[in-house]
Amino acid sequence: MNITPTEAEENLAAIQTTMRKFRHSVASGGSYITLIVTGVVWLIGFLSTQFTPGISAYVWTAGSILGTILGIILGFRMGKRVRSPATAPMVKRIALFWLLLIFFAIAAIAIARPADGKQATILIVLFLMLGQSAMGLLFSFSSVWWVLPITALALIGYFLFPGIFYLWMGVLGGGGMIAIGLYIHSRW
Amino acid sequence: MAELNETIHQTVRLRIMAALVTLEPKDEVDFTYLRDLLDVTDGNLGAHLRKLEEAGYITVNKIFVERKPRTYVSATGEGRRVFQEHVTALETILKSK
Repeated sequence: MNITPTEAEENLAAIQTTMRKFRHSVASGGSYITLIVTGVVWLIGFLSTQFTPGISAYVWTAGSILGTILGIILGFRMGKRVRSPATAPMVKRIALFWLLLIFFAIAAIAIARPADGKQATILIVLFLMLGQSAMGLLFSFSSVWWVLPITALALIGYFLFPGIFYLWMGVLGGGGMIAIGLYIHSRW
Repeated sequence: MAELNETIHQTVRLRIMAALVTLEPKDEVDFTYLRDLLDVTDGNLGAHLRKLEEAGYITVNKIFVERKPRTYVSATGEGRRVFQEHVTALETILKSK
């Protein structure tokens, strides 16, 4: 069987493209869902904190419960795309990691005693982003890059725009997550 | 010297193998997910998978998940070896340019 160097080049390019697309798709399969669901919860929750603080606790509670359930269902469906014998022990470790991180976050906030809701919020956001960074580094670099711009946005809002911090977090933090999630979904 | 593999050389089969070898050795991919990623029809993918399975390069695993039939595909050790050999052969041809 003989082919020309040009054909060989085209075949190698097709292989590279398929491998890259497949890797990105598998790696980002769960991350775009996490981003969109978290983004929607943030958008509604932070806007409620900014404009209707009296009911924001209920909005956050309902949003977090619904978001978690939706994230688990969609994540489970995505998990069926690729079956891996190594997944079961990983799922247990991931769940344990998040439980420990929540425990450490609660302990740190209890010790630090934040002066107001904004301080408590930014601490929670930083712990969440730390957890997402760890998940990204564990699975693939391509699913960790979005943590940095979202964290940067949160810190900019906290230090430079404290008066509209919740609005900032809702529109740019939550909206940014939704936009990045949609971008990842359409791109890969 | 590495040689081109006629079974793998066909465009769709080449892309199928490229996708499957990116997975860990015992991982399997869902048929519909693979079909969407490669942008081919059910019939087209099924026909090419049969050729690869007959050659011993992939395994097709039909199981029931929540009472619904699902087909999972994975590359065999032999499939991974011949794919790598095919890639090496392509690189050799390209270097001779």
